[in-house]
Amino acid sequence: MQTSPASTDTQADNLRRAAIDKSVKGPVLFLFLNGAFWLMASTILGVIAAITQFAPDFLGPCSVFQYGRIQPTHINALVYGWGVQAGLGAMLWIMARRSGQELRSGKSILYVAAIFWNIAVTIGLVAILLGKSTSMQWLEMPSFIWPVLLICFLAFAWPMVFMFGRAFRPEGFMVSTWYILAACFWFPWIFVTANVALHCLPGLGALGAGINAWYVHTVILLFFAPVALGAAYYFIPKITGQPIASSQLSQIGFWLLAVLGGWTGMQQYMGGPLPAWMPAVGAAASMLLLIPVGVVGLNHHLTTLGKHSMVASSPTLRFVFFGALFYPVSGAILALISNFSTGAVLQFTQASYGFQIVAVYGFFSMTIFGAIYYIVPRLTGCEWLSVSLIRNHFWFSVYGIGAIVVTSLVAGAQQGGDLNSPEMWDQDFMQLALNLRPYIIARAIAWALITWSNVWFLIHLMLMVAGLGRRSSSPTLLEHDHDEALSHAAHA
Amino acid sequence: MSQFRTFILALVASFGLPWLCLIVIPAVKYQALTQVAYDKDTDGIEGLYPPAPINRQGQLVYAREGCVQCHTQMIRPTQLALDGWRKGWGMDQDARPPAPVRSNNMRDYLGEPFAFLGVQRNGPDLSNYGWRAPERALIHQMLYAPRTLHDWSNMPAFTHLYKERLAQGPVSSVALKLPKKFPLKEGYEVIPTPEAEALVDYLLSLKKDYPVPGDPAAVAAAPAAAKK
Repeated sequence: MQTSPASTDTQADNLRRAAIDKSVKGPVLFLFLNGAFWLMASTILGVIAAITQFAPDFLGPCSVFQYGRIQPTHINALVYGWGVQAGLGAMLWIMARRSGQELRSGKSILYVAAIFWNIAVTIGLVAILLGKSTSMQWLEMPSFIWPVLLICFLAFAWPMVFMFGRAFRPEGFMVSTWYILAACFWFPWIFVTANVALHCLPGLGALGAGINAWYVHTVILLFFAPVALGAAYYFIPKITGQPIASSQLSQIGFWLLAVLGGWTGMQQYMGGPLPAWMPAVGAAASMLLLIPVGVVGLNHHLTTLGKHSMVASSPTLRFVFFGALFYPVSGAILALISNFSTGAVLQFTQASYGFQIVAVYGFFSMTIFGAIYYIVPRLTGCEWLSVSLIRNHFWFSVYGIGAIVVTSLVAGAQQGGDLNSPEMWDQDFMQLALNLRPYIIARAIAWALITWSNVWFLIHLMLMVAGLGRRSSSPTLLEHDHDEALSHAAHA
Repeated sequence: MSQFRTFILALVASFGLPWLCLIVIPAVKYQALTQVAYDKDTDGIEGLYPPAPINRQGQLVYAREGCVQCHTQMIRPTQLALDGWRKGWGMDQDARPPAPVRSNNMRDYLGEPFAFLGVQRNGPDLSNYGWRAPERALIHQMLYAPRTLHDWSNMPAFTHLYKERLAQGPVSSVALKLPKKFPLKEGYEVIPTPEAEALVDYLLSLKKDYPVPGDPAAVAAAPAAAKK
């Protein structure tokens, strides 16, 4: 496969890759490790929140453990502690590698930014628990936190924009870097808009609630989705050894997401006090989003045709494949909760929480896990220790997120049915509370499964970052007795 | 480099358009939203709509405790949902009112810096709670020990909003009247803190279906209590 002249090129390539890895090693590992800790915290809080929803007194009457405080803490830890942080780590590495640029200067700024990010999130979450919540979805942290988070994010986004601008390989079209650059660009804009509108402007009343709902949806569609898609578009071709099936489909998928993503969100308050065209536009955009979602799904499918068996051996491909599968799933759930027919039934039920978790954990997090399983060995110089820990992580996450998808949708349908049932017009909420109980218990069990999977992920990651992984030049694969040898380039 | 510039411009245009149309322009236009006066001849009542804002101090407590996670404050129109037909969810507390509860519009939330429309509806909608609210002591009991009123309830017990203290002399007039089997220490009484009183004031101020000026059918249907 490699002749003499080609091997010198490969040697130079490998040296350049190693130099790039070394230049981003510290910040990326720092982000991944801290993110994994927050993920652990968030999943434990998810279990507690679910339990307090059906057994409110199980931890005693302490105000810190009440559902109204624990639930926002759980979600904010998942989004800001884990999601944005791990996303930034993956973005930094992929952008550096794909653009062929080392991170030459400013590493200490990145360390400081990451440290301050974690301090700010810690203070913000403790503040929610101690009674300073703003009760604005995904923005419950007190208003002095967001400027710190913004500056830290920009500290990471800035070198990435530079790298994109100076890409080493100007030939061809790099969809993964498009997505990552777009995420760097959209998140600060969305973040500043929502926080200024809700915390700085004189009150916006019901419009404020609409802007809040817009914020949640646009962060999912224009930050978490692009980062996960960028990672998927990078790792799938890399590991299968096959180029992306269609660059036209890639471009269509990207631009349709870019055009439609900003319009969604306000349909969360359909039938509400907002001017009627706002939820209508949001619902329409969410339905139209099925097109880019389907296009990207088709593209991934065509790219991996014939190589599906690799999912059995490569941990990265397995996680990324599963995560990428959840893009259409989350798109379908978004369409279900957004249109005015099924959406009106599912409004104000478990279904919207289910959508948020499916998008942030099922789609984004599973893809980022795949990225982490690929990136970390290349940064630490050692390989993952235990195949069974990786398998454990994968399967318990699958069970957990699968359970959450099913229970949220079914619970949502049940709850929506009860809320709109003509027979309950003069009843109190007893029947609804009792009907919902088994689904909340299922949700608690699902989060417990996910906690279990992430305990071992965290320990595994800590061992790797400490340099205690396997000393080996061959990657840790999930199955070794496979005829199909993964090409060398796949694990460069 | 110009390819980079084109890319950025395309991103700005594709996101900037919804940003302007959904966020910026509506936010600017919202600043001009004010109360509207009723016309005595066409509406039959006088005054401004909406007549009274909510209690802001109590709303801060509402936000702190995360009540939005389980309670909504938004009545949906009848073509979308059953909200308007539910008993007690509006001004008219009769068993079967002649008209459904009005769905909310933006002016109903005038005076609120942020409208807590709600995340989920695990408990009743509160937008018109002020009309169906029982006496203050019962509201306090609901907040302090929800399961003494509804044993199936999943509502948290907001005990930190109350003080349990040794009753000194005669029982305080604001002390909660809890059922006998409630495990309260001998000789102790539960009194609300100022936060709890503010929260109850806020809940009592939640009345969001005052008739809209110029909507004669609604005004005619509203009972005389509308003037309160």
